[in-house]
Amino acid sequence: MIGVRNLSVELGGRRVLDGVDFTPEPRQVTALAGPNGAGKSTLLKALCGILPRTSKLDPRRIAYLPQGARAAWGLTVEEVAFLGRIPHGDRAPAPVARALAQAGVAALARHRIDRLSGGEVRRAMLARVFATEPEVLLLDEPTADLDPRAAFAIMRLLREAAAAGRTVVVVLHAIELALRYADRLVVLDRGRITADGAPLSVLPAAAAAFGLGFGDDGLPHLLPD
Amino acid sequence: MSGAWLRAAALALALLLAGWVPGEAARRVVSLDLCTDQMLVLLAPQEIAGLSPLARDPAFSAVARQAAHLPMVRPSAEAVLRLHPDLVLAEPYAASLAVAALRTLGLHVLTLPDPQTFAAIRAETARLAHVLGVETRAAAVIAAMDATLAGLPRAAGRRAIVLEPHGFAAGPHSLAGAVLRAAGYRNAARGGWLGLERLLAHPPDLLVLPEAPGTPSLATDLLENPALDTIPRRTVPAAWLICGSPFAALAAARIAAR
Amino acid sequence: MIRLLLLGLAVLFAASLLVGAAGLGVPAPVILWQLRLPRTLLALLVGAGLGVSGAALQGALRNPLADPGLLGISGTAALGAVIAFYWGLAASYPPALPLAGMLGAGIGAAALLGFAGRAPTSASLILAGIGLSAAAAALLAFALALAPNPYALSELTFWLLGGVADRTLSECALAAPPILLGTALLLRLGTGLDALSLGEETAASLGLPTGRTMRRVALGTALAAGASAAIAGGVGFVGLVVPNLLRPRLGERPAALLLPSALTGALLLLAADLLVRIAVLALPLNAEPPLGVLTALLGAPFLVLLARHLGR
Repeated sequence: MIGVRNLSVELGGRRVLDGVDFTPEPRQVTALAGPNGAGKSTLLKALCGILPRTSKLDPRRIAYLPQGARAAWGLTVEEVAFLGRIPHGDRAPAPVARALAQAGVAALARHRIDRLSGGEVRRAMLARVFATEPEVLLLDEPTADLDPRAAFAIMRLLREAAAAGRTVVVVLHAIELALRYADRLVVLDRGRITADGAPLSVLPAAAAAFGLGFGDDGLPHLLPD
Repeated sequence: MSGAWLRAAALALALLLAGWVPGEAARRVVSLDLCTDQMLVLLAPQEIAGLSPLARDPAFSAVARQAAHLPMVRPSAEAVLRLHPDLVLAEPYAASLAVAALRTLGLHVLTLPDPQTFAAIRAETARLAHVLGVETRAAAVIAAMDATLAGLPRAAGRRAIVLEPHGFAAGPHSLAGAVLRAAGYRNAARGGWLGLERLLAHPPDLLVLPEAPGTPSLATDLLENPALDTIPRRTVPAAWLICGSPFAALAAARIAAR
Repeated sequence: MIRLLLLGLAVLFAASLLVGAAGLGVPAPVILWQLRLPRTLLALLVGAGLGVSGAALQGALRNPLADPGLLGISGTAALGAVIAFYWGLAASYPPALPLAGMLGAGIGAAALLGFAGRAPTSASLILAGIGLSAAAAALLAFALALAPNPYALSELTFWLLGGVADRTLSECALAAPPILLGTALLLRLGTGLDALSLGEETAASLGLPTGRTMRRVALGTALAAGASAAIAGGVGFVGLVVPNLLRPRLGERPAALLLPSALTGALLLLAADLLVRIAVLALPLNAEPPLGVLTALLGAPFLVLLARHLGR
């Protein structure tokens, strides 16, 4: 089980997280939403254990995908997926083959990752995450810069992972993805959790965090400051 | 403006020096180069107004000990002028800017080529002695040199090479080549860069090396390469082989010694 | 691939013992053991050390232009070696020479990798390396001018371009342990470098924090490139060219490039040294051309081509 209790983080003199309590549940997709600078990425890193002075966690059981993940070299999709085996210290081909299939990039295994489309790159990166066979998946904006179809494909994969028993935490900007694919929506605003629950019930609070309210006509309008 | 000043100064100097005609005994002599330093110390130490800084360096100068007590001057025109010399000695290609300036200012500058054979050494020594007015002393020095050379064994046909820093070998037309001949050896090198491998491919009967300086460098450390240990060697003070002077006869004697 | 490289090394090793200024074929024993063997061994060691250092630095900095020479690490190593050599420290205690080289390289590597942490862009890293390299070369020339032996200043080309000629077996024995140790260290960093290719945060999440990998790269490079520069001068471009030559053939995974880079570097430098000796045999040269001349003739155009290829 991963989670944080009363976590406060200061970065560069600014209080990024303020007394945050958060424990994601297995078999669930938990979406983290909120405006820019709310502390979502930092919370994810804290859950992963890679912030300085947080306790180190077992890298075989957690997989983390940062924002805008790219490979520095023209590795093949297969080579990228194999990197997911590093925590296990092996190059077992079976988990990697399964991961490639799961992510839907098995046909692209020998292709260089720097020659693929944005959606394909993202799915190749997901294959690396799956190859670790982790219990917990932490993903920071995996759908950013993708067209709706590619974004939906990613979210479906994450739903499947959760259904298979994993704990999935994903940072999202697109609330509609959370509404459709998440079991739980946590809203972060200026370092604090302002809402936490089923996405539909949390929606007004989520919108408020973005400065939007919904009128009786069902249409969004800007809230006064 | 400054040109006119210089010409006036030159005229004044020329008048001042008018009394001293070259060819008569000169009293204050400055030397700008190592080789002329050595000749001056050898022939007329009492007339020295200034020697070059290298004269005191035991790695290069055969007269380092004596030069330590003699006046030194930096080879710049200004410094030399301050000494009011009657005569300035220099080698043809060295300190040429200072030499040209001094000539313009009316000083008597004598450029002496560096002799590379014993015949040339005799000739140049006699010539300088005439200028300095020390013919008797020079004759004694030359006689001593000739006596040393005469006592050396005749040529036995054995091959020798003088190896210099960086792996260069002295050729037949160099001073070191003349020294080898005087010592009774055949110079096995043609001059220029030889390199250790070519040296060892046809090893000479004797390897002549300059004495190691007290300080390290790749060029001088090369001469200590263990690959050369298989060849008999003789070391000679480097100073004896740098300038064409009667000291070269000492080098020949050292090489020829059993 | 590895077998092919080893075969090539065996062939060039034999050739290197049979080619020299004394002619082709088996020479007199003193020439074989005291002159040809040391330079062959040194070319092997230095080539391997520089090749693997280049591959490791490129992996660590995620930059195909990284190279111990270009980044100034060989320059600071040579500076350390010059100070130890010309002021007699190495004469009284021979291991001082490679140690000074390693210390100089270590300082250079630490400065550069520390800077890399704060300057993620490729351009600023290369600029920092060029600055370090220029500063080291200037200080080197200054040190040589101050050195007590008058031949020192004329040896600037050796320290800046390098060479393996006229070295002794004992000098090889001094260089071998640190170069082999540094190479062994770097060869074990494959997993860390692979993890780094996905970024620092991912590497940390995989259990391989960047700091640790960077420190080990700095240490391995300081040992291998530092001792190399101390004995063979600043031979350049091997670390740059070799991994880039191998990438199209072996793929771009950093770990896959480490051992082949070591072997190919050794091959390259042996071949270059053979060319130097053939040049002496075939042309009326005044002296042996420095090894770094040949590696620069190969490496500089390669660098331009690479820069253009990356720019596209």
